[in-house]
Amino acid sequence: MFLRTAILCIGLVGVPRASVMAADPPKSMPASPSSPGFREFSQGLQEYLKLQKAVPRLRTTKKREEIVARRQALAQKIRETRSDAKQGDIFTPAASEEFRRVIRSVFQGPKGASVRKTIRQGEPIQDRHLTINSEYPERLPVTTVPPTLLLRLPQLPPEVAYRIIGHDFVLEDIEARVVVDFIPGALP
Amino acid sequence: MRMIRRRTFLLAALLNRFAWSLRAQDVTLPNKSGSVRFAAIGDMGTGEAVQYEVAQRMLRFHKDFPFTFVLALGDNIYGGKSPAELQKKFEIPYRPLMDAGVQFYAVLGNHDDTNERFYKFFNMNGQQYYSYKKGNVHFFALDSNYLDPKQLMWLEKELADAGTNDWKICYFHHPLYSSGSFHGSSTELRAVLEPLFVKYGVQVVFAGHEHLYERVKPQKGIYYFTEGASGQLRVNDLKKTDLTAAGFDKDRSFLTIEINGDDLYFQAISRTGMTIDSGTIRRPGAVQAVAP
Repeated sequence: MFLRTAILCIGLVGVPRASVMAADPPKSMPASPSSPGFREFSQGLQEYLKLQKAVPRLRTTKKREEIVARRQALAQKIRETRSDAKQGDIFTPAASEEFRRVIRSVFQGPKGASVRKTIRQGEPIQDRHLTINSEYPERLPVTTVPPTLLLRLPQLPPEVAYRIIGHDFVLEDIEARVVVDFIPGALP
Repeated sequence: MRMIRRRTFLLAALLNRFAWSLRAQDVTLPNKSGSVRFAAIGDMGTGEAVQYEVAQRMLRFHKDFPFTFVLALGDNIYGGKSPAELQKKFEIPYRPLMDAGVQFYAVLGNHDDTNERFYKFFNMNGQQYYSYKKGNVHFFALDSNYLDPKQLMWLEKELADAGTNDWKICYFHHPLYSSGSFHGSSTELRAVLEPLFVKYGVQVVFAGHEHLYERVKPQKGIYYFTEGASGQLRVNDLKKTDLTAAGFDKDRSFLTIEINGDDLYFQAISRTGMTIDSGTIRRPGAVQAVAP
């Protein structure tokens, strides 16, 4: 819990940059990690992580069956505890607006072409109909999330990750493989 | 399910007989005492017959060159990830190698489930990125699907802590330099990783993703290998450029490496046992790969 909170706090107050970042700083306007939109997002995410506290996480095993069974149990528990969850609960309107602004500025910025190329090289997934709590399909490849974009967004704890599915920007629980929330049409 | 298992078992048995009838390939690696010996495979987890043939070729090669571990460069399991599929795409083809004591150290490709990190035989210990040391070689296994600031900071610290006296080898799925026409070089990933590699003296980088074998001419003093054809293959994908030192896109392949002191010896081998590339890299200073 402490680690999760600490990571979220780092995300909120700004990320200490590795030297590679210092050598190659983003040229476009940086995101404000403490903007109201990102604050709302981080609060919503903290609530989500609290829900998960009672659910056992995965652990290393030689038995693939065990990984699948635990993942399914985790996903089921998440669906039960968030049965009334809807799109926009974590990516609130204010958060969505902030994410859209950052994504737009990265795509329109000096590294825009490179960012698009990164997504193309990751074998991008075509648009799909997403629903909250649905399973991230196991046969779909993972589109590379451009590092330039990740540098400008709130950092996430290890249980969740940003994903790109078609034009949608998605928050996925990567152990349960569950769609936690998404911003439709966020990517140009 | 039972039918799939039975068919897979029969296929494995058939290939086992076939593989032993193949002519043994020549080992060009020196096989010196005390060496760090390993292999690298990428984009292999299809479960198709050709993956099994490469695995059998590796096993045959292992008799003469007893490598102790394998770098799995991502796309370890394509398509379905059920226990039966994992068996078919990993456990059955590589079981003889694992029974011989060979360990696999995997990274995640874009076709992998992140939960593969919990699979004991991939030795990721639940981590998406991790490091380990074998002899005088530090290995840094990265998740190039998701190079967030946290991972980059971790990498910088690990590289700094590793000092300057040993080999430093990084591996991940997406190649920073590639003459493959399907994906090509991952320039944005290069922009964030290469400065760290240069700053902290990484000598060799392995990747997959492009379904071919390629050795790139040293870039800023770093040797880049792509081995993404250990199961998948994209014939004629290699468009030789100024980057290309050697390449092969006509058949499946795998790579073997021996490190002894300051010398790294490599030999890339095709599914049929042909040596498609080999040479020596000296650490640090000597930047010229020696052709066979």
